Amino acid sequence: MTAAIEARGLTKSYGATRALDAVSFAVEPGRIVGLIGPNGAGKTTALKAILGLTTFEGELSVLGLDPRRRRDALMREVCFIADVAVLPRWLRVAQAITYCEGVHPRFDRRRAEEFLRKTDIRPTSRVRELSKGMVTQLHLALTMAIDARLLVLDEPTLGLDLLYRRKFYDALLNDYFDKQRTILLTTHQVEEVENLFTDVIFINHGRVVLAESVENLGSRYQQLTLAGEQVPRGRALHPFYEREIFGRVAMLFEGRSAAELGALGELRTPSIADLFVAKMQERAST
Amino acid sequence: MNSTLADAVDGTAGSPAGSETRIPSLPPGRVLLTLVRREFWEHRYLWLAPVVIAALLALSPLIGHGALQLPPFGAAESRVALSTLVQWGLWVPLCVVMGFCLSYYLLDCLYAERKDRSILFWKSLPVSDALTVGSKVLVAVALVPLGVFVLALVTHLLFSTILNLRFTIGNEPLLIFNFVQWLRTEVTLFLVLLLAVLWYAPWGAYLLGISAFARRSPFLWATLPLVLAPLLERMVLGTHYLWSFINYRNYGMWAKLGIGHGNGHIFSHDHVRPFGVLLDDLDFRGAFTDLDLWLGVAVTVALVFLAIRIRARRDDTAW
Repeated sequence: MTAAIEARGLTKSYGATRALDAVSFAVEPGRIVGLIGPNGAGKTTALKAILGLTTFEGELSVLGLDPRRRRDALMREVCFIADVAVLPRWLRVAQAITYCEGVHPRFDRRRAEEFLRKTDIRPTSRVRELSKGMVTQLHLALTMAIDARLLVLDEPTLGLDLLYRRKFYDALLNDYFDKQRTILLTTHQVEEVENLFTDVIFINHGRVVLAESVENLGSRYQQLTLAGEQVPRGRALHPFYEREIFGRVAMLFEGRSAAELGALGELRTPSIADLFVAKMQERAST
Repeated sequence: MNSTLADAVDGTAGSPAGSETRIPSLPPGRVLLTLVRREFWEHRYLWLAPVVIAALLALSPLIGHGALQLPPFGAAESRVALSTLVQWGLWVPLCVVMGFCLSYYLLDCLYAERKDRSILFWKSLPVSDALTVGSKVLVAVALVPLGVFVLALVTHLLFSTILNLRFTIGNEPLLIFNFVQWLRTEVTLFLVLLLAVLWYAPWGAYLLGISAFARRSPFLWATLPLVLAPLLERMVLGTHYLWSFINYRNYGMWAKLGIGHGNGHIFSHDHVRPFGVLLDDLDFRGAFTDLDLWLGVAVTVALVFLAIRIRARRDDTAW
């Protein structure tokens, strides 16, 4: 299958800083990919490049199009929500719907209205009259009403309460996602959505640190919790990260077999959040 | 239009994702209409200001009370001429208001969307930069001028009707409506407006370019060079070519028409002539075929292309 997104040697500099440093990765269609990295890692720059909002060097193909030259064609099949409020303050809710309907061939007015009926947002309200959470809800309603093949979400639930975040991700999975769609998502609340991802890409200092499908993570990475005289024996197997929890030591290994590690202590697959922290620290220390 | 999930699946299931199964865009006319509506939603002063001024002008004859009987003055011919002068007199303030509104609009439209970051929302939808900027140009050079022209026409009819109901000379109306003279005046005003749009278009495109380019204070970006560059030229070279050029691009159009060369006198010491005589007096043929006019239009086109390019490339919106 052709990749939904394919980046090769993607590079972007802002002055002397390299936001993206020869980044290569591929996103297969029908996947939910978490793009995870600390602030300033280059996540947003990567998303902007994918969406045709910035210039860059290297090769990038999104749904078979070059986003630099074909942003308008690409946006018929791609939706995105940035992590900053971007709806203009003067816009009325009804106007937003009319506008999207008037320019987007795949916008479904009924879907947007249905979504909004479940909220307290009135069609006559202007964006400036809505609370922060309501603005996000409105933007999500507009985006979810578009039948897109690639959905790019940068911190989509920022500023929403836990109840609404849960509802949003449920809706995303049950009503929106299917095998024809691809979702690329960044979030800081990794714990909350890690069951959602089928793939993760870790990015730090403009470089891809890890790009793996979630089903492969279990066979590639192991977390071993051990104590006492087992600790030096564990260290002898070269964990790439360790941390002390209540007197016991958690070690993360790459590419070790369960047979090798199982005898030393408790073995399990690390959570994405743990793996992320480990990978970021590893880079910082090397 | 009513695409469903099933359509989407049909559209992509047969072929691998990433292939050239493309969704057709909406008809460009419909998209353009939506874009134009959005301009009038955002920049409400574009229609609000002229409409309010027009309403004030049209209703101004209501000021004062009671009907007035004026002593008979002037022949019927002068009162026809007077009617056309009122027609012109109501058109001028509306055009001035429009000039201010459009200047502000062109300087603001591409800057405001970056300042409030809404450009990220507009760019998340399948509208090209060319069509977006094109819709703004269309609003500024065609829709608003046409709207103001029609508004001035309606204002004149309302104004004259109210005035004639309230003020009479003997039993005769103050202003006499003559269709031919009315039409000649409208044609004259339309040609002057059309010429003005073409002549001032490069200034508008200059403001649009600044709007796309300035990171902050577009007003200073737009005005300072026009003041500082001539000043610098004067201090360094002692010449004033730039100043003359700026003046020429501001007022040159009126000289092209022959105003100030003894043409276009409507008032003389003993009588007034109907405004439509300017159709014969002024050199419209010369003005519309003037090379500088069309050079200005060419510069306008180039600047609009530049604005489109800057909007497509510029990446200074914090996200």
